[in-house]
Amino acid sequence: MTIFILFATLAILLLIGVPVAFALVGASAAAVASLGLPMILSVVEIASGANSTTLLAIPLFIFAGEIMLHGGISARIIVFASALVGHMRGGLGQVNVVASTLFGGVSGSAIADVSAIGGTMIPQMVERCFDRDFAVNVAITSALVALLVPPSHNLILYSAAAGGGISIADLFAAGMVPAALLMLAVMATTWVVARKRGYVAEPFPGMQQLLLRLVSALPGLLLIGLILGGIRAGIFTAVESAAIAVVYALMLAAFVYHELNWRGFVALCANAAQTTGAILFVIAASGAFGWMLAYLEVPVATVALLQSIAHEPYTILLLIVISLLILGTFMDMAPMIIICTPIFLPVAKAYGIDPIHFGIILILTAGIGLITPPVGSVLFVGVAIGKITVGEAVRTIWPFYLAAAVVVLLVVFFPALSLWLPAVLR
Amino acid sequence: MSNNDAPASINTAPKTVFSRIANLTLIAAGFALLAMTAIQSWQVFARYVLNQSPGWTEPLALIFLNTAMMCGAAVCVRTNRHFAFSLLIENVAPKVAIALQKFSAAFVALLGVAIAWGSWQLVLGDWAVRMAGTALPEGSRYLPLSVGGVLIAVFALEKLFTRAPISRTAVSSASTSQAKP
Repeated sequence: MTIFILFATLAILLLIGVPVAFALVGASAAAVASLGLPMILSVVEIASGANSTTLLAIPLFIFAGEIMLHGGISARIIVFASALVGHMRGGLGQVNVVASTLFGGVSGSAIADVSAIGGTMIPQMVERCFDRDFAVNVAITSALVALLVPPSHNLILYSAAAGGGISIADLFAAGMVPAALLMLAVMATTWVVARKRGYVAEPFPGMQQLLLRLVSALPGLLLIGLILGGIRAGIFTAVESAAIAVVYALMLAAFVYHELNWRGFVALCANAAQTTGAILFVIAASGAFGWMLAYLEVPVATVALLQSIAHEPYTILLLIVISLLILGTFMDMAPMIIICTPIFLPVAKAYGIDPIHFGIILILTAGIGLITPPVGSVLFVGVAIGKITVGEAVRTIWPFYLAAAVVVLLVVFFPALSLWLPAVLR
Repeated sequence: MSNNDAPASINTAPKTVFSRIANLTLIAAGFALLAMTAIQSWQVFARYVLNQSPGWTEPLALIFLNTAMMCGAAVCVRTNRHFAFSLLIENVAPKVAIALQKFSAAFVALLGVAIAWGSWQLVLGDWAVRMAGTALPEGSRYLPLSVGGVLIAVFALEKLFTRAPISRTAVSSASTSQAKP
């Protein structure tokens, strides 16, 4: 009965538009009341939900991403990507994919990616006679790569939601091959669609220009190596690497690129603070909700339910992937990670699936939800930049959905794609 | 700052007060972000240059984390940047949509008060205990939660009583400017 109260309250509150974090607190408070437990327990669990040192990395990486977004790094990455792949079939579309991947390695955020790279590339593509729907579809699909590469705060969020026992360095390494696969899949799709629609390529500027542009973009790109190398070499922890990333990004934007003034800095601090508040408060609220799930033994019941349906690990994984894809169509990324991890991770573990492998599947699958209607924040930003409707974008996006789905299936059925690199770097 | 500032027809006095509170809250959150950066950087510097590992950095950084979280979360109530589902509100009659928004604001205000009250009890309960690694009282760990709860309630009440209800367009645009995935 209490389980019903918990989920029914959550569903009703979410449906009527109560923010997810407050709906989680409200649902767990209703369950606490129905059990006759002291209400202060909910507040204690909220406090303990935000009392993890792992979480310190999230606001700091968000902060670093904001500085990179407004500090001139994205423009230099686009110029470099243009020289690198602009001459391929699909021209500026390919540039968009590569620039998104490289910037994702700096920002770790899909929305920052589509805002920074898509914000520049979509208008340029439209100007060069690419169709708006194509420009938007390329930009939003390639932005998903940012979810899988360091310093993706979604991977840190998954580690925190899993109880903090999963190494962030391993997760960062585990996402890189799937990210490369996703990049290649989107590039191949761009090539095929561009060929069908007859889009032109850019002229190759020559090796000298390529090197010059690489040198200009290199200081920003070094951040990827600084973060991953620093953590892997044991020089600093994931949290410390996030602070180093902030300091490095700040120095680069203010003193090397000279593209950050005081006014801009204050604005990006305010934006980073609000993003931090929105994401971390969901995590804190999920402390109360997650505690109630454990108290009511919901993960155990979920394992038993799925065991009665299927016995093969891959069948279970596919069931979870389908559930995540459905949930992702109307649920945003952070709440989905926070709510689904404590429910599905014990199931995955019970079937011998590696938590790192499962984490990459979760992030990748939940990421697809960001570009699917009716609720897809990356899709919304993309269509706003491209000045088209969601319907116009979605009508022709299916080749890109197909590419992403193929990558999900590859990652599901070939665990080595996620687990090989962490093992090599360990 | 806010993409939902009240229209000119609404009394500007409360709007100015709430805007000022929101600005101060954001300044506190921004300061907390900078403080976290400084503390974690100091930790690296102290380990490699001073050859020591200070014990105060972790508990202090967590207090600033909670400060940034609660201040940011409070302002997000005002600017509609919390993750939320707007499907129902976008597809019902305007009167129903307004009623749902008002209910949501009242519910958030109630939870803000509950969080403020509950965490204040924790502040008082643990005030006499010294926090490990620092000279601060253990109860100070819950102080940001308590203050943040009050601010959440304040901004939710502002939405409930003094600000124009959010239009459907604003809901849609707010959903595009939600926190970064």
